[in-house]
Amino acid sequence: MLFNSLTFVVFLVIVLALYYSKILSWTSKKGMLLLASYLFYGLWNPPLVILLWISTMVDWTAGKKLAAEESQRKRKFWLLLSLFVNLGFLAFFKYRDFLLDNFTSAVNAYGYGYEAQPMDIILPMGISFYTFQTMSYTIDIYKRKIEPAHTFLDFALYVTFFPQLVAGPIVRAQDLITQFYEEKRANFNQFAWGTFLLTIGLFQKIVLADILLADTSDQVFSSTAILHGVDAWTGTLAFSGQIFFDFAGYSTCAIGIALMLGIVLPDNFKYPYASIGFSDFWRRWHITLSSWLRDYIYIPLGGNQHGITRMYAALIITMLLGGLWHGAAWTFVIWGALHGLYLIMERLLRSKIHIKINAINGIFLALLTYIMVNFTWVFFRAREFATAKNMIISMLFINGEGEKIVETFDVIKVFLLISLLFMCHWMMRNTSMKEVSLKVNPWILGVFWAFMVFLIVISQGSGEQFIYFQF
Amino acid sequence: MKHKKSLSIAIALSILGITAWEIYWRSQGYFPDLDDDKYLWVKTRALVEDATEDDVVIVGSSRALFNIQLGQWEKLTGIQPIQLANAGATPLPVFHDIVENSSFKGTVVVGVTPPLFFSTTFEQAPPWSRASSRSEFYKNLTYAQRLNYSLSIPLQNSLAFVSNDDEAWIDDINLKALLKTIHLPPRTDKPQEPPFRRFQDIDINRNVRMKEEMVSDTAFANSIKTVWKTLLSGDIPPPDKEATIEYFLKDAEKFTSRGGKIILLRNPSDGFFKDLESKGLPRSEFWDELVTKANVPAYHYQDYKGLSAFKTIEWSHLSAKDADQFTENFVKILLEDGLITNLKNN
Repeated sequence: MLFNSLTFVVFLVIVLALYYSKILSWTSKKGMLLLASYLFYGLWNPPLVILLWISTMVDWTAGKKLAAEESQRKRKFWLLLSLFVNLGFLAFFKYRDFLLDNFTSAVNAYGYGYEAQPMDIILPMGISFYTFQTMSYTIDIYKRKIEPAHTFLDFALYVTFFPQLVAGPIVRAQDLITQFYEEKRANFNQFAWGTFLLTIGLFQKIVLADILLADTSDQVFSSTAILHGVDAWTGTLAFSGQIFFDFAGYSTCAIGIALMLGIVLPDNFKYPYASIGFSDFWRRWHITLSSWLRDYIYIPLGGNQHGITRMYAALIITMLLGGLWHGAAWTFVIWGALHGLYLIMERLLRSKIHIKINAINGIFLALLTYIMVNFTWVFFRAREFATAKNMIISMLFINGEGEKIVETFDVIKVFLLISLLFMCHWMMRNTSMKEVSLKVNPWILGVFWAFMVFLIVISQGSGEQFIYFQF
Repeated sequence: MKHKKSLSIAIALSILGITAWEIYWRSQGYFPDLDDDKYLWVKTRALVEDATEDDVVIVGSSRALFNIQLGQWEKLTGIQPIQLANAGATPLPVFHDIVENSSFKGTVVVGVTPPLFFSTTFEQAPPWSRASSRSEFYKNLTYAQRLNYSLSIPLQNSLAFVSNDDEAWIDDINLKALLKTIHLPPRTDKPQEPPFRRFQDIDINRNVRMKEEMVSDTAFANSIKTVWKTLLSGDIPPPDKEATIEYFLKDAEKFTSRGGKIILLRNPSDGFFKDLESKGLPRSEFWDELVTKANVPAYHYQDYKGLSAFKTIEWSHLSAKDADQFTENFVKILLEDGLITNLKNN
């Protein structure tokens, strides 16, 4: 089920009515939320709910055993079982064809005429999100950082909680399960703020990503021509806006819906396009994934505790895996590698040059960071290396005479919208939407809110899937 | 408290704004109607699963959509055909889908619009993909999408501003379509396309009727003629007669061998289209060869007085009134020839 659909509107109204009705106890309400979450997922493809059940059963059992067991050998076994099942799902459903393709290419490079039969397996929506979430549960129990969930219901709801099930935020057990232990209700202001977040999330997805930016981005990235620099930049900027509004829009909806239930989810985006440097970028972009990668890959690989060389190796491995997490393709690996290299270069520069950030050099550095990030988006969006190469050449204006394919209105629309996005991120980088909302006149907020609702309604989006569902 | 006040303001202004928007578009002549979209098509396609041997399925292009009036057909036979024709598309992938993915063994009326029927079997070519994408969508439809569409029908039937047709007409009134009406000096070499206005209405059974305005307003009809000329004046790939006939015959053989009946129908055309079709796809080389090889009942409008006595409005489609008469005449011929069931006689 998509947030940007009529079905979801009806679904949410029913869930809220039951949640705030007095006929259900807290345990029954959690049971209702769990059933609603399975329905939310199952209406897309019912059999794939079984994967959720398997993941839930395995990690619940592993969590209990890890907490009770004293033998290190047995504890390792339960941890490995949990990792094996979750990573096995990922490998089978997400990476099987990719691994097979690469194996076939490698074997055929030595002259074997091997032909693999692609299985065309459906990719379960959000599998990368819920497997990472449940793995963090067992790993944290293994490290004795957290206690297992009090009840199976609390754990199952943690794995399946519908607002963040298919595209995050990836929530840690200690942040979410503990909220299920006592009855939660949103007060009116929380509920109203949750509704505002849901509105702004839908506005970002339906109006800004799908209506204003997606077509231009698709047009440019599906072109096989060597493009004019302006067209290449228009397409890349359009994609940078589209992916932000699409993904941040989903996260904002998720946070808003949870808040309407009185449950607090962590922020996933903090105005990333005004980041000063790449470390700052990863503290602001997909925060729950980057902190997951930091805690469960970068630090176990040694982090910054074992010398510079190992730190850089850990950094690049983490970013490569982060790239691969997004999709089973070499273009995503290159995207991750570029970010890894950026982070290494930044650390090298920071050790040599010390700049005191002020408003003037800050905005310049933020713009520079944003431009560099845009080069990485080319690899993220392009389906083939040839497209990425052509785009980069055009963006560097190496081609004097590239083909113009984007019309004047679309160029102006994209540059205007992205400039506004950048300025908005810059102005908001040290504050939050909540803080600003409390400062502005309620009338201004109300008019802005109504304006968003109006544009969502007249857009009549065709229910486009969120980009991150495929990851 | 601040957010509570803002929420109240937002609710009030949203209702006000949306109501004003609806009133404005109604004042501009818009009225609530359905869109010819993939959701309506798959809802209709689902009917094939329970269809009996007496049932009739129509596949084809826009001429089969406009010219065959389901109500007239039902009035004469007691059976409402299942309308699966797609505008601007070849019927081959839809027929293939019915043959391969259903057990239907009733009657399939195949509308043959030569430039589309004989166009291609290349899956990425628009005449093919416009139809095959809908069959694919039917296969992959989720329960959520099904539910979503059911919920959207009352809205489409009540609100004029809800318009999201797959065709993306120039006079659609969703935000994306409205933005497309802004014209600035061009910076590409792409030729400017003439405005393509929606010239038909569709109902929940996918019965399509040409708008009355097309008959009364010559300028409207001429604007559609301009679109046809532009569409067919560019570099059009040559027809692929061998591949298309071969593809159809394979499916036809499988369908008839399980007891299904096929009826070929060549709808009327005039002016620019008639010239283009008779020069580029002459009847003797295309239609006649298809009929001979398929060896199924076939009806070319030129061979029947009751089918040729009409003038198409924009060279390709009949007015709603003429379509009623055309359907009546066609059904009567089929009944006389004993090709379709008449439940009214049973």
